[in-house]
Amino acid sequence: MSDWLDLTAFGQVVLGSLAAGVGLALCFSLALAGFASPRPVAKAAGVLCLLVVAAGAVLSLYVMLRK
Amino acid sequence: MDVNVVLLAVVIITALCFDFTNGFHDTANAMATSIATEALRPKIAVGLAALLNFAGAFLSLKVAATIATGIVETGAITLTVVFAGLIGGLAWNLATWYFGIPSSSSHALIGGVVGATLIAAGPSAVKAGQLVSHVLIPAVLAPLTAILVATAGTFLVYTITRKVPENVRGRGFRLGQIGSASLVSLAHGTNDAQKTMGVITLALITGGVIGKDAGVPFWVIVTSATAISLGTYMGGWRVIRTMGKGLTEIETPQGFAAEGSSAAVIFSSSHFGFPLSTTHVCAGSVIGSGLGKRLAEVRWGVAARMGVAWLITLPAAALAGALAWFGTDSIGGDLGVLTVFGVAAVLSGGLYLISRRTPVNAGNVNDEWKTPIRERA
Repeated sequence: MSDWLDLTAFGQVVLGSLAAGVGLALCFSLALAGFASPRPVAKAAGVLCLLVVAAGAVLSLYVMLRK
Repeated sequence: MDVNVVLLAVVIITALCFDFTNGFHDTANAMATSIATEALRPKIAVGLAALLNFAGAFLSLKVAATIATGIVETGAITLTVVFAGLIGGLAWNLATWYFGIPSSSSHALIGGVVGATLIAAGPSAVKAGQLVSHVLIPAVLAPLTAILVATAGTFLVYTITRKVPENVRGRGFRLGQIGSASLVSLAHGTNDAQKTMGVITLALITGGVIGKDAGVPFWVIVTSATAISLGTYMGGWRVIRTMGKGLTEIETPQGFAAEGSSAAVIFSSSHFGFPLSTTHVCAGSVIGSGLGKRLAEVRWGVAARMGVAWLITLPAAALAGALAWFGTDSIGGDLGVLTVFGVAAVLSGGLYLISRRTPVNAGNVNDEWKTPIRERA
């Protein structure tokens, strides 16, 4: 099986995808929940989460361009 | 310099036609969920996708995907094999478009080239092991990975935002969905336009028009980018409909999770050097977004039809590629190439006319799906 499938690369893809996909869903949802909250601290946390999402998008573009 | 101008010209035109079908076949990958959730109007969505595909084609000029690299013996690739392979890929793209089935254009092209090579140079010219490891196994793993990521992502977005007012949630995820869909579109442009650039450059090198070490000519970049973005703008509405409405009923948070997961898997696979089909990833993400939402269900009949199409992509495109090579070789010379090209053009036109009987377009792409969805108790 390992001759046909690069298990290391595939494992990295699964873990990387999970980290990026779940991270994006988590941060964006937390940002929305923060913005919807009346508490200033929650709103500030929302902004922070949105910045993380923006950083992730920039990182994705970087990955794409350096191929 | 002995250049067969007719053959070269036909190969280039066929490659651009393939690029066009690749564009309209794959519009759904990035924009189906945005259209289904009405985050973007259908025409705006395909326009944005076209623009990003065009831009994406210029972002990376490394010809990563010369056809079927490592899958067939390099010595077996002639201009006629490339032509027949393109016809095979084109045929499969058009057939699956007619039936509204998302399927991988790369796999169709590989299938076409493999079929043409098999009949032109014999089975020994095809590396079966590489075919399994580079095409068949990733075809199974891509949707599974995407399903896993999208299911987790969808579950999270619904759980975390359950107390957020509906209007704020809808607006927020709509914006997020547009961003993630744009990333997928851009990635599609960088990957898929290169495929055609690779084919045309290879044809120019084989025909002796440019040197072996020459880069991709600028006109090749411009024409490939234009063909894929024009195809994208035409919008493969049939495939968009299946992806956006057929697999599951998509709400805005699901659309965001699906597009985010697709972008995550595509970029991860690209970064770690384990290329996966964009189509397989995006379809898997949509299924995952159906599984991750409580009380949602996936139309497994539609998913199964898609799975079967993925399984037969390679043999079907190979058969079409082999037939194209056989036709070209039997008639022989320029007449053979022109005849096969003409037959392919007539058949494509015929399929288009038949498709007009049951048109799917921007106006009805979001109509209710015939089979109602069964909800979990």
